[in-house]
Amino acid sequence: MSVSTPKSGDHSHPTKSSISRGPRSGTPVSVWEIVELARHPERPYALDYIRRLAPDFVELHGDRLSADDPAIVGGVGSWHGRTTMFIGHQKGRTLKERVARNWGMMHPEGYRKAIRLAKHAAKFGFPIVSLIDTPGAYPGAGAEERGIASAIAIAIMEWFRIPVPILAAVIGEGGSGGALGMGVADRVLMLENSIYSVASPEAAASIVWRDNTRKVEAAEQLQITSREIHAMGVVEEVIPEPKGSARADYDGAARALDEALQRNLQPLLVLPTEELLQRRYDRFRYIDSLVRAEPQFGPKID
Amino acid sequence: MSIVEREHGVAIAGGELPLILLPTNCPGCGIALEREKMRAQNYVCDCGHHFRLGADVWIPIVADEGTFQERWADVRSHDLLKWIVPKRYEAVVDELLAEGLNESVRTGTCTLDGRAIWLAAFDFGFVGGTLSIVAGERLARGMEQAASTHTPYVLVTASGGARMQEGVLALMQMAKVNAAVGALHAAGVPFFSVLTDPTFGGTAASLALLADINIAEPNAAIGFTGPRVIKQATYADLPPGFQSADFQLAHGQVDMVVPRTELRPLLAHLLELYS
Repeated sequence: MSVSTPKSGDHSHPTKSSISRGPRSGTPVSVWEIVELARHPERPYALDYIRRLAPDFVELHGDRLSADDPAIVGGVGSWHGRTTMFIGHQKGRTLKERVARNWGMMHPEGYRKAIRLAKHAAKFGFPIVSLIDTPGAYPGAGAEERGIASAIAIAIMEWFRIPVPILAAVIGEGGSGGALGMGVADRVLMLENSIYSVASPEAAASIVWRDNTRKVEAAEQLQITSREIHAMGVVEEVIPEPKGSARADYDGAARALDEALQRNLQPLLVLPTEELLQRRYDRFRYIDSLVRAEPQFGPKID
Repeated sequence: MSIVEREHGVAIAGGELPLILLPTNCPGCGIALEREKMRAQNYVCDCGHHFRLGADVWIPIVADEGTFQERWADVRSHDLLKWIVPKRYEAVVDELLAEGLNESVRTGTCTLDGRAIWLAAFDFGFVGGTLSIVAGERLARGMEQAASTHTPYVLVTASGGARMQEGVLALMQMAKVNAAVGALHAAGVPFFSVLTDPTFGGTAASLALLADINIAEPNAAIGFTGPRVIKQATYADLPPGFQSADFQLAHGQVDMVVPRTELRPLLAHLLELYS
């Protein structure tokens, strides 16, 4: 399923758009309920999907510079007969594991690890699947000391030069630059109850009102649900989740993700490398083309 | 006078700077400020305090007088998210335009000591210098043209990050401009970045630190996450000088920390070395 783009003018007032409908249940789901589903501690994480997509998955570690960042996992496995590089944010399931994995918030070493694995995939011509699920990059002093800003910047720039097909899917939280650092791909998909945001609702509320308890209002204003992001032309497709959301049916959610990723991979496999990279460049260079096509929707560009 | 300036005889500014509003006393040393005197020394106090400048001042500092040809000035931000808190985004933009500001990034071509360059300057006065669709478009287009004409690119940053009021499309500008930075590098075009106070968030984590040479202004705060958020998130006490220009120099993120009065002669020298 792909959610159709609303006509211009359909971008209603946020208080109206705060109600969107779940496709199966038919009951209204508020924006904040979607945020809670995206962050639910029982929601499947990257490894839950990767081990279903590629049961023979072999995990690889380390940035080859100084460390291994457990907030991001990566490795190779056979996916529909093709060796594929899987990379994904991994939040922990138990408290101990959450601490070890830093709640899926990457340090600079994580972005360096991801690019190291991407170059590894490029050497062997393996396609890359990136599963995004992070509140954001780690907002701590150590990350600053070790260059988190330039680590993200370099990762974003490097993804444009990786000469193999890249598919990204937001499976939970797509938080800010920390998510985009793993989100430069040829196709970007979102699971239905995932979110993608320039700033977390809490951070936005803190900036707008200096009060992070007004996160619900901020979430509605920011337009972060999969439908809203798709309507802006930022992702190619929204992947429907099983009844009761992904956490109710890991296998069903993995099947839906598998099908959508495979279908989106096929046209990329036949593209010459130069064209693949040019299209990736154009995808992001003109990502606001919907804005340009409908001037009332965004800035006028001469 | 610096060594570079003596050798090259390059003025500290390309033209006469506009007079800007300054506090009565310097926040660095407390002396009463004379506007004309401050203007003559690029708005740097004798004590070394660097005042924040808008794009309207940065352009005449860098560009040879009368050479700046602004491009794509006639575009503006529109309210795609119907943003209403704490104030309508459209109204915010209207007011800033009425004040004479023109988005968070202005760009165009000029010469510096006679050499052709592309120049882009952030303006912190426009919604905190935030990366917006218009800013991203001006940056990406300029970089693409600099790449195709093999013209050195000079960037001056001052930004809080991506603009919230444009939602995820503002976030996407980081990828858009980094694609263009990649094109600039692939074309072998020199790219010099001048990081001024403050440079944070999505701007620091996209083009600002990706130059061939990163030059920070003294005491400029540069980082990804702001100190207030770091303290909220980690309860950490941050040491004095955390995220300062010298901190970033010590941590390998910038090549040098250069006073504003020595910047232009330095850029002229670099343009010669990389020509």
